[in-house]
Amino acid sequence: MWEGITAGLATALDPGNLAWVVAGCLAGTLIGMLPGLGPITAIALMIPVSYSLDPAAGMIMMAGVYYGAVFGGSTSSILINAPGVASTVATSFDGYPMARQGQAGRALALAAYASFAGGVVGAVALLLFASTLAALATAFQSPEYTLILVFALSSIAAFADRGQVLRSLAAALVGLMLGTVGTDQSAGVQRFTFGRLDLTDGLSFVLVAMATFALAEAFRMVLAGDEDAAPTRFAHARLHPGDAAAVAPAVGRSSILGFLVGVLPGAGATLASFFAYDLQRRFRRDDAADGARGIAAPESANNAACTGSFVPLLTLGIPGSGTTAVLLGVMLSYGVQPGPRLLEAEPAMFWGVIVSMFIGNVVLLALNLPLIPYISRIVYLRRRVLVPFVIVFSLLGVYLTSLNSFDIFLMLAFALAGLALRLGGFPLAPLLLGFILSGMLEENLRRTVLLADGSWAFLLDRPVSMVLVVLCVLVWVGPLKRLLARRRDAGEP
Amino acid sequence: MSAGSGRRFAGPSALNWSGLIRRLVPLAMAAFAVVYLVAAWNIPLDPWSAAETVNARALPLVYGVGLLAVSIALIAVAPPRQDARRGARWSVLGAHCVVIAAFGLLIPYAGLWTATALLLLAGLLIAGERRLAVLVIAPLGTAAVAWFLIAVVLGIYVDPGVWFD
Repeated sequence: MWEGITAGLATALDPGNLAWVVAGCLAGTLIGMLPGLGPITAIALMIPVSYSLDPAAGMIMMAGVYYGAVFGGSTSSILINAPGVASTVATSFDGYPMARQGQAGRALALAAYASFAGGVVGAVALLLFASTLAALATAFQSPEYTLILVFALSSIAAFADRGQVLRSLAAALVGLMLGTVGTDQSAGVQRFTFGRLDLTDGLSFVLVAMATFALAEAFRMVLAGDEDAAPTRFAHARLHPGDAAAVAPAVGRSSILGFLVGVLPGAGATLASFFAYDLQRRFRRDDAADGARGIAAPESANNAACTGSFVPLLTLGIPGSGTTAVLLGVMLSYGVQPGPRLLEAEPAMFWGVIVSMFIGNVVLLALNLPLIPYISRIVYLRRRVLVPFVIVFSLLGVYLTSLNSFDIFLMLAFALAGLALRLGGFPLAPLLLGFILSGMLEENLRRTVLLADGSWAFLLDRPVSMVLVVLCVLVWVGPLKRLLARRRDAGEP
Repeated sequence: MSAGSGRRFAGPSALNWSGLIRRLVPLAMAAFAVVYLVAAWNIPLDPWSAAETVNARALPLVYGVGLLAVSIALIAVAPPRQDARRGARWSVLGAHCVVIAAFGLLIPYAGLWTATALLLLAGLLIAGERRLAVLVIAPLGTAAVAWFLIAVVLGIYVDPGVWFD
């Protein structure tokens, strides 16, 4: 292995490859910042550039684009509550309120440092455990995925704030329902399209996310007549004293969790960031650093998960997400067949990509920290200027992904519905999570039941499934106990 | 994910009409669930799919029943009605909505970039911006930068619109 690492180091430190890491990170960050354009788009747009490079340089650049786009997405999540990528939705939960409180620089710096830490932890884990984890990942099949998804949805209720369990459940159910719109993947029948061709492919994530987060938030600001953010002469990219110590445990936990979730094909950075955020809420201390931890946890998890998703790609040839599927296409176009023999056939590329992940994370940090004071000034724009810009950017982001003006009207309707839900006290994050997981849940459940010949015995047949069933039951114990305690208290004179 | 996070950035507690909306939203949700259930029940199934344990109808029916049950529970526990606060800027919000709808209608004719510039100009005016420099530079600059990034740098073809074709 050490010979491989040495060879990889030589490949990654080649001046030409170093330049491509920088170019990839920069391009990824800039594209990722644009609402609606995520890592898949960024990588797809860079494919023509990669064709002019040798396989190692091309893959090294693409890895940089991937990291950069994920980090860029967190910038728009924090500054204008417009998560263009599913994996940065959780970052906006605490990042956007912090930015509105005049701490945009601190929020972006936390995201940058946490991303760096998550990326480095992921790269170390990839270096040491790639082959072992690849074998472990194959033990997760449809039944386990189904139960992981049920666990993720159950945790919405389990981790909801006091009195919000029903509202969280309702929002998650609405999200799951929106996820069923379009052509059914198994039977090919149209569901809830009402004869409209525009809906046959279903609702896009970008549309639902932009409508319920960015546009609905802009509408809320309009309705409430929000005051301008407190003017600050210069937004420093500095952490508060004690931030590093306060977020370190959260970053450590989330990085490991993110990497492990990222290794699972199909799970990816989105689930990792949601899990990490929820886990963080379980460890919250109700102190001043809770918001900082709420940013650091999903950011470190989604970056670690990006690294983790390279495990099934490089060692098994299985793309774990849409983004790695595009990367797989790039590798195949080079004539490189990822899989168990990649390590022997292309050691320079295999280890070069892994080592360049360290370098990519350093580059990402070095690129972004100096820019933070300038980028973060966006939140100090007057509301009467900021709101129209948020509206325009969110609409542009959605229109450019489909080039269909029907989506504009759909987005308007969803934004008004999202506004009503917000004003009604409904959290919108469960809605988005339900929407994201809906297709995956249905696909895996169907496959599982089909393979089990219509039986539900899979729930208890496999050891990993049994553990997950127990976890799903356990996450409901807390809310039920709280509910029973409240009813008991209410019954007492 | 969490209710708390949603509440923090939504900030509905600051708005006094939340009591009214808190009662109306579960009702609307229940109505949505009923419509969804009817549509789910009418999803066409071939004989093979109909015999499957989990077919195209199964999960939509589960979700619909689930939402209906949760909505009824929410209606039962909804807070008492409160009067809507006067002075909420509903007319400003309505104006933004009309402009967004006009943007959607205008794109096929004026093209994305012209429609974008007009949308931003109208949005700024509605929001109360009156500085001429901002009203001129922001829409034109934004449309030009967006065109340069999307059409020139990224090479994505965007229909110029019927009027400019």
